[in-house]
Order: sequence, then structure tokens, then C-alpha cells
Amino acid sequence: MSAIEFHNVGRKFGAYEAIADVSLAVRDKEFIAIVGPSGCGKTTLMRMVAGLEFPTEGRVTVNGRVVRAPGPDRAVVFQQFALLPWRTVRENIGFGLTCTGTAASEKRKLVDHYIKMMHLDGHADSYPHQLSGGMQQRVALARSYVIDPDVLLMDEPFGALDAQTRTVMQEELVRLARDNPRTVLFITHSVEEAVYLADRIVVMGKKPGCIREIIDVSDVRTSEAWQELGIDEVMDLPSFVHLRTRVWRLLRSQMDDE
Amino acid sequence: MTDNVAGGGDAAGMNIRRYLPQRRTLISLAGLVIVLCLWAVVTMGLKLVSPVRFPSPLDTWSAARQLIFTGYGGGLLWEQVWHSSRLVLLGFAVAASSGVALGIIMGISRRAQLFINPTFLLLRPIPPLAWIPLAILWFGLGDTSKIFVIWYAAFVPCVLNTLAGIRTVDKTLIAAARVHGASPGRVLREVQLPGALPMVFTGLRLSLQACWTTLVAAELVGAFFGIGRVLVIAGQDIYPGMILVAMLCVAALGAGMTKVLTVIEQRLLAWRFA
Ligand SMILES: Nc1ncnc2c1ncn2[C@@H]1O[C@H](COP(=O)(O)OP(=O)(O)OP(=O)(O)O)[C@@H](O)[C@H]1O
Ligand SMILES: [Mg+2]
Repeated sequence: MSAIEFHNVGRKFGAYEAIADVSLAVRDKEFIAIVGPSGCGKTTLMRMVAGLEFPTEGRVTVNGRVVRAPGPDRAVVFQQFALLPWRTVRENIGFGLTCTGTAASEKRKLVDHYIKMMHLDGHADSYPHQLSGGMQQRVALARSYVIDPDVLLMDEPFGALDAQTRTVMQEELVRLARDNPRTVLFITHSVEEAVYLADRIVVMGKKPGCIREIIDVSDVRTSEAWQELGIDEVMDLPSFVHLRTRVWRLLRSQMDDE
Repeated sequence: MTDNVAGGGDAAGMNIRRYLPQRRTLISLAGLVIVLCLWAVVTMGLKLVSPVRFPSPLDTWSAARQLIFTGYGGGLLWEQVWHSSRLVLLGFAVAASSGVALGIIMGISRRAQLFINPTFLLLRPIPPLAWIPLAILWFGLGDTSKIFVIWYAAFVPCVLNTLAGIRTVDKTLIAAARVHGASPGRVLREVQLPGALPMVFTGLRLSLQACWTTLVAAELVGAFFGIGRVLVIAGQDIYPGMILVAMLCVAALGAGMTKVLTVIEQRLLAWRFA
């Protein structure tokens, strides 16, 4: 059984057809990157997995169950971080644990663990507005990781970060995915990011939103042990360059269609 | 000045904040002193205004002493002040709790909003003072009718601002809470209410202002005690010093209560200034 399944999913907003006939099976612990032109329905697709949006056609299942509401088994990392401004870093990271009623001592231990892992030591009692963008996004990542979700949904999580911070975060994400693998849906506008991070890349087209092609990266990644390398080293590899060009061409052809 | 500027934690900003409070107070005091001096010069020095039209600082001072020590309009200063303040506080408390509660209900439930809105839109344009005759008919000339009118005046801004506050909370924050396991109740407590708080306090401030405006007007129409009563009697006696004292009382009480509200708000929103 696949972790996430889209069965002929369609979504209309009034008369406007945003998504039509999307079918996709995401394997357990698989890292999927979704790329596509703006407005092709990437966010909508992800919100349907999160339970924040519902298909008008077909169905979306997670671990075999149809998605009916949001739940902590499907945590989302948002582009704009979406941290509670009136809660400290520690409280924000522990938010999901508080919701599920985790015992205080257990919560403290887990939160401390993720504060360390995300290099947030010394900022545990700061408020989000006192942190840099990269730090805020690490808090958001920790908040999602700490509740140990089956599925992690990320909507352009590094889109609001500067290029350097972004690189650091990408490497951190690869490290997390290697040490603590999970099923991930990762939306991005960056082809490099998609090729570097994903096992499979879903390229979408629009009018209406649909899947154009799925590119498998996992074989190359494992055979060349990308997860042991830094992003700049990987980006120099011929296999990486080749994949990047291929995805880029596909994406361009979707944009040219307009 | 109470409006604090959020953010700006750099060294220069800190410096400005460290020496500004004293300077601000100094400038504000200077402004007051100049107004007082002008007042004294115009009324006592140049005698440009007749004391029957506008009292001098000395007239006002003696009127204040009379009100404090011998009483006027049926009571001593503190009795009159207490009487009016009590009504304002009661009316405000009832209006704030019921108004914020209704605002929250309308904010989180479209159905409730649709249900309540027509009634609300119908009643809203009626000025609070237009309720006085009906209030007197229902509750008599006593305090209850005044509390009712104050409640009505203060209720509307509370509802509207709370509603707007809840509605304008960032949808992504709500989604983030839900996908991390928050129940609707927790979303309300942890996200919607804290997010609406600044607007709720805007509503409370407007509401408090409305309380004083309405109370004084209601006491002018009919009261046995209170600052409005002092104003009426002083007007009948053609006693400008006392009129001004009563007006200054309202100003001081209104400002004082608003200050308390602001302090509470800053406590609750302390994270902004961390
Ligand atoms: N609540 C809504 N009401 C009406 N239309 C909507 C709604 N949500 C999304 N849409 C429309 O559906 C389409 C897909 O939107 P979506 O946000 O999923 O695109 P996206 O691929 O995430 O785009 P981007 O890359 O710019 O984030 C868009 O044309 C958008 O206008
Ligand atoms: Mg999007």
C-alpha cells in the first residue's frame, strides 16, 4: 500500500477547473518533489493531502484512508513559516505535542532534542520576530518533525530565504531525510532543489493542472551516494546536470504553452 | 504617548528608546505649562475674557476646593466621581464581556453572523441617547437605565472590532495549527483570540470613550448624583469655575481608565516588545 494516493483527482473552483485527473501513488518514505508553472495547482494538491482542501472529483488517501480533515499525521511546512508570533521558539516547536497531550517531561525532552538538531540552541526562549528567516524556517521544520508525522508536506519551504541560507537548509533537509526518512511532498520552483532533494520529480502542466511527467532520480542518487555529498559537489556531477536540463526543458515547455 | 513602535531592536533604536521617555514627558509637561500660562494671562493678566464667560485658573482652583471639601450638586468630589465611575465601570464591564463574546461568536461562525447581522445593522444607527426615554420607561430614573444606555453605546464598537479582529487573523496560522493537531477550541484559544487581541483592545478603547460620553449625557438629562449632575447645577448657577472643574474631572477619569486599559494591553502583548 502506498503512503499517499491520488485517484483521478480533480478540483474545480466554481466553473474554473484548477486540477483534472491527477493520479499518483507515493511510496512509503519516498521524497517527491513537485514542480510546475505558477497556478498549475501544486498548492491545491498538497492542501488536499493535508485535509485543508477537498477534491471535487476522485479521492485522496493517506495510508489507505480517505482524507477528511487535517491531522498531525500529515504536518505542513509553509513558505511563510506560519509560526505563532506570541509563542516562543520552544512553545512553537512543542505546539503539536501540546495538542496531542504528550506528557510534559517527554515533550521537554523531544523539544530540546530538535532545538539542538536544528541549531537553535540559545534561542529557545526567543520569539519568532527575533530570529532570522532561516532560523524561523528551522523552527517550523522542527515543529513538524517533532510530532513524528507519517507524511511531511512542504510548500516552497525555502522560497522566502536568501540563496545562502537556502543552500544550508537544503543540505540540512537531505541530512534529516537520510537519518530520519519520511514520506515527503515537496513543492518548489527551483529545479536544482528538486533534483538534489527528491527521489522522484513530478512535473506538472496547467490548464487544467495535471501531471505531465514523473522523473526518477533515486537510482542515480543512491548509486552515486549524493546524500553523502554537499549540494555544490552534487551540482557539478554530470548526472545532476543532465537531470537538471531534462527537468528544466520539460518545465519550459509547460510554460511556453501559455 | 502610549503608542509603542514594534520592532527596531538595533543599537540606535535602543538608544532612542532609553532617553526618549524623560524627554517625552518633559515636552508634554512644557506644553501643559504653556497652556496654563496662556490661560492665566488671557483671563487674569489681560482680562480679555469676562470671568462670567470663562473662569480664570484661580476661579477654577477655588471651585475645585469647594467641590473637594464642602461639596456641590449634592455631594463631595469623591462621591460624585465614584458615582459616575461606578456606572461607567459597570456599563463597560457588561458591554465589554457581552460585546467581545458576541464578536467572537460572529467571527468564528458565518451562520451566527448571518443570523445576527440584520438585527445588528438595524439597531446600530440608533444613537445611544435616543434610547434614554425608553430606558427610563423600562428602568426608571435610577442607575439601571443609565447602565443600559452605556451598555448599548459601548457594545457596538466591541462587537465590530472583535469580529474584524477574528476575521483578519492570518489564515495560514490557523491552517498551521490545524495540521499540527489543534482542535477548533484550541485554534480559537491559541491562534484566533491572541491574533484578534490588538483589535479587541481598539474596540475596548473606543467603547470606554463611548461610556463616558454617554454617561455624562445621560446624567445631564436626569440624575441625582454624579459629574453630569454637577455640570447641570453649575450651569443653572452660572458658575463657570465649577463647570470647568466637572469637565476636567471627566477628562482625568477618561484618560486614567484608558491608561489602565493600555497597560493591560501592553502586558498581554508583551511578546511584541521582547
Ligand atoms: N480558494 C480558491 N478559490 C478559487 N480559486 C482558487 C482557490 N485556490 C486556488 N485557486 C486557483 O487554482 C489554481 C491553482 O492554485 P494553486 O495555488 O494550487 O497553484 P500553485 O501551483 O500552487 O501556484 P504557485 O506556484 O503560484 O504557488 C490557481 O489558478 C488559483 O487561482
Ligand atoms: Mg503554491
